[in-house]
Amino acid sequence: MNLEELKKLKVKAQRQVALREGNKKYRVVVSMGTSGIAAGAREVMKTMLDEIEKRGLEDIEVRVTGEVGLEDIEPVVRVEEASGEKTTYARLDAEKAKKIVAEHLEKGKKVDNLAVGKEKKPE
Amino acid sequence: MFEELSLHILDVAMNSIAAKARTVQIMVAEHARRDQLTIRIQDNGHGMDTATLQRVLADLTTAKRSRKKNIGLGLALLRQTAEMCDGKFEVRSAPRMGTTVTASMRLSHVDRPPLGDLNATILALCAANPAVDVQLHYLTDTEHFHFSSKEPAEKKVASPEGLRGEEKTKYEPGRTQEVESESAAAGCLA
Repeated sequence: MNLEELKKLKVKAQRQVALREGNKKYRVVVSMGTSGIAAGAREVMKTMLDEIEKRGLEDIEVRVTGEVGLEDIEPVVRVEEASGEKTTYARLDAEKAKKIVAEHLEKGKKVDNLAVGKEKKPE
Repeated sequence: MFEELSLHILDVAMNSIAAKARTVQIMVAEHARRDQLTIRIQDNGHGMDTATLQRVLADLTTAKRSRKKNIGLGLALLRQTAEMCDGKFEVRSAPRMGTTVTASMRLSHVDRPPLGDLNATILALCAANPAVDVQLHYLTDTEHFHFSSKEPAEKKVASPEGLRGEEKTKYEPGRTQEVESESAAAGCLA
């Protein structure tokens, strides 16, 4: 950790704030409780942010929440669509996170082999 | 056990956000001359009464009533890390007065985890709740770095030069709260 690195943070945080405005097509919620952090949720979130930026995807909001009650399959990420549809991805790492950005967030195709639970279809 | 101190910081600061804090101040003081590293996470959330505080400091307990499983290891883990590295651990809290968690350790201790990716920690906290002002004070023997998540939001149209200009190494006397926390930090380390 050095001061130069910290200075870059300002620019990144600014972008984060800018991304929150307006209606988004997707909202990505990362579980960041103790169990999630221990399993690597922070790296997953960082990878997704970097990947979203790299691909120039603009209608995506990335948020963080506390424990979601899925401690044994962390890191857990939930992708919520504007239609209300929610997909939960579990046991992620940086590579899988990249795949979710490339497939689900960019092309709109769910990554079925990483998803868990039943799909919640909007009423 | 977390491999990085910045993961401990993220974990503890997530509690602050859960406690509806409006400001979370994170101080990391790396003093090579005193061979000491101090981490302080201070919030203005709803705080804890003595009974709750006793409970969360015991291992494997949580103040989150919604949980059936015994999670809530966050503070216990940080205490373990601090004590393992010849340091001290302290939590101060009172209802409606916020919570201050302080952990110190010997900088050169062989078991001291690296600080790690502090930037990712701050970004995660900003993403946790955009309304919360996440502040970071990073101090070394010679330098002081200050970051506040509220700054970029206010100065969104600022030019890159303008942004660089606000990365100040001196604090202004007008910012009473921050100055207080600085001097408190200095007092604790002295």
